[in-house]
Amino acid sequence: MIDKSETILEGIDLVKHFGGGGLLSSPTIVRAVDGVSLQVKRGETFAIVGESGCGKSTLGRLLLRLIEATAGDVLYEGRSIRSLSQREMRRLRRELQIIFQDPFASLNPRMNVRDIVGEPVALHGLAHGNERRERVDELLRTVGLLPAHADRYPHEFSGGQRQRIGIARALAGEPKLIIGDEPVSALDVSIQAQIINLLEDLKEQFGLTLVIVAHDLAVIRHMSDRIAVMYLGEIVELSETDDLFDNPLHPYTQALLTAIPVPSPVNRTPKPLLQGDVPSPTAPPPGCRFHTRCPHAKALCREQHPRLEAAEGGRKVACHFWREIQNAGAGSIAAPPASPALTKRLELYRTWRDRQDNAGASGC
Amino acid sequence: MINEAALRSRETDLAVDPLASPASEPLLRVENLSIRFDGAPKGINVVDDVSFSLAKGKTLCIVGESGCGKSVTALALMGLLPTPPARIVQGTAHFEGKDLLGLTERERADLRGNSTAMIFQEPMTSLNPAFTVGDQIAEGILRHRKVSKTEAWERALEMLRRVRIPAPEKRLRAYPHELSGGMRQRVMIAMALANDPQLLIADEPTTALDVTIQAQIISLIRRLQEESGMSMILITHDLGVVAEIADEVVVMYAGRVVESGSVEAIFEDPQHPYTIGLMGSVPSLGRRQGRLATIRGSVPPAELMPKGCRFTPRCPFAESRCATEPPPLVEATPKHHVRCWYAPLEQHRGAVS
Repeated sequence: MIDKSETILEGIDLVKHFGGGGLLSSPTIVRAVDGVSLQVKRGETFAIVGESGCGKSTLGRLLLRLIEATAGDVLYEGRSIRSLSQREMRRLRRELQIIFQDPFASLNPRMNVRDIVGEPVALHGLAHGNERRERVDELLRTVGLLPAHADRYPHEFSGGQRQRIGIARALAGEPKLIIGDEPVSALDVSIQAQIINLLEDLKEQFGLTLVIVAHDLAVIRHMSDRIAVMYLGEIVELSETDDLFDNPLHPYTQALLTAIPVPSPVNRTPKPLLQGDVPSPTAPPPGCRFHTRCPHAKALCREQHPRLEAAEGGRKVACHFWREIQNAGAGSIAAPPASPALTKRLELYRTWRDRQDNAGASGC
Repeated sequence: MINEAALRSRETDLAVDPLASPASEPLLRVENLSIRFDGAPKGINVVDDVSFSLAKGKTLCIVGESGCGKSVTALALMGLLPTPPARIVQGTAHFEGKDLLGLTERERADLRGNSTAMIFQEPMTSLNPAFTVGDQIAEGILRHRKVSKTEAWERALEMLRRVRIPAPEKRLRAYPHELSGGMRQRVMIAMALANDPQLLIADEPTTALDVTIQAQIISLIRRLQEESGMSMILITHDLGVVAEIADEVVVMYAGRVVESGSVEAIFEDPQHPYTIGLMGSVPSLGRRQGRLATIRGSVPPAELMPKGCRFTPRCPFAESRCATEPPPLVEATPKHHVRCWYAPLEQHRGAVS
């Protein structure tokens, strides 16, 4: 049994600034990630959510040391991975894997599937010759692909299948932790559901820890145990999933939840919307970075930067006035229940769907 | 009108048009539209026998996944489909007493950007990077109206105000790359609405945008629609967006309409297995309720498309009949149509044996 209280991966005051370096480069500095600390517990699904440019993907890459941090540290199983040599790091990569958003861009078009999935197996010296072939076949079956297709090239597969290839490759080294960088956002809805279920099955089967970087809050609510909400390079709220959706504390989280279109035409009430765009991360506003769009901003917010402070239930929030603005659960989501007809037919659908899986050869 | 009557009597099972009545002639009525791409297998149309209608001031959402033919339908209506490879096999699209599909290139160009307009998913690729925002909005105005350049620029400025762009005087002289994604989409909308179109076709207008910006754009589109009374066809794959904005919904799968009806009917009483599977695939925003329902596999390539119902290989309820006999689009409840042999499912597929 996995001990869910144990920290597997920890980021400490991570900072990543881009630009401003060389003689000819421009002096503007993009503060992509600016002082982020978080702990991922073994066996959980941890989500990092935010809008484009908030630094969530950069943070994901920092946690795997795919890019070097400007400052701060990353501990994997209590050991700093920033001080590891290239060689030690490469050995560690077996355990820390990543799945990318775009399954079209992340597979080498000139390699067939057997080579793509077999490469990490060979690289880490896990299996040779026939054994390797079998290992690749097994991995393909695990992700719902036919081993008979191993000689095909990426362009011969659909988007969902390519994402499965990417997942098989990530699994090849028997990882302990996988970071999914928007793993389903490029896929069609029906394919998205397949991949979400696959990731959940694999997590169960192999005892994985998942870190999901995403912007789709419905997907995140469905998959994750805990959520970190990012805005302009900082975590503004960190909480258990249900708590966050039932009672968002930070005004940005509230605004994010309010903005989600609810798939029910019953109560179409005009919603209070955030105005304006996210400021540029090259010049984040002083004080609280959200104050330029915050409906509750006061003078203090423009001057003083709020710390990420502890709230009830192990939650964390970075807002001067989070206690004051908790009137009537603004932004909490009340998804209306599905209609009786839909509930009935969906149940019927699931029953027949299970039967289809049991009867058919390739259930995905 | 004779022509239409003939069409209808020929295809009686395609009782098309829930809104058409002598009293309120719809603004747009598409009937039996089929489009084929050269090189596709014989008899496989990328858009197959699609019919729908749109009343004045209303919003119709076309929902479906990649490759279902929703964008091709829209491009055909705008006369933007490249021929070859695309060919319109049959069908009509009546708009203001004209058949949009039978117009000459010149007539189409007169209509496009004037009484019909379109906005696209990716505003960066649809705006010309070499011209300022003002130039591009004014161009459309000068093409369709007898006005001076100064007047056109004034109108462009007014349009930027209407789409709530801050500091519009400054933005008028900005190039597209100087604007954020949300601002670019506002500019696209300003361009599309500059000549007060009666019909706006929006192809995934918010898909590329962040969720807070998406909410802004949806609320903007809705407000502009109320102000101007235009009709809109919105193409999307996002059921949330549909629920927020649609009056009528058409669900497409692999080039065919599988279900159509009012937005309430589709969400409260979905009939087609594909619609139901789609709704089960979307994670709920409420507390987690077990695993997602999924639709198995993916859309088959054209050469493997079944003769009958195109959803057959993925449908849990399918039987041998489905693969060979295409089901008609029949009225399930008044103004709610579904293309399935076994709808309503609880009647025909309820007894779990």
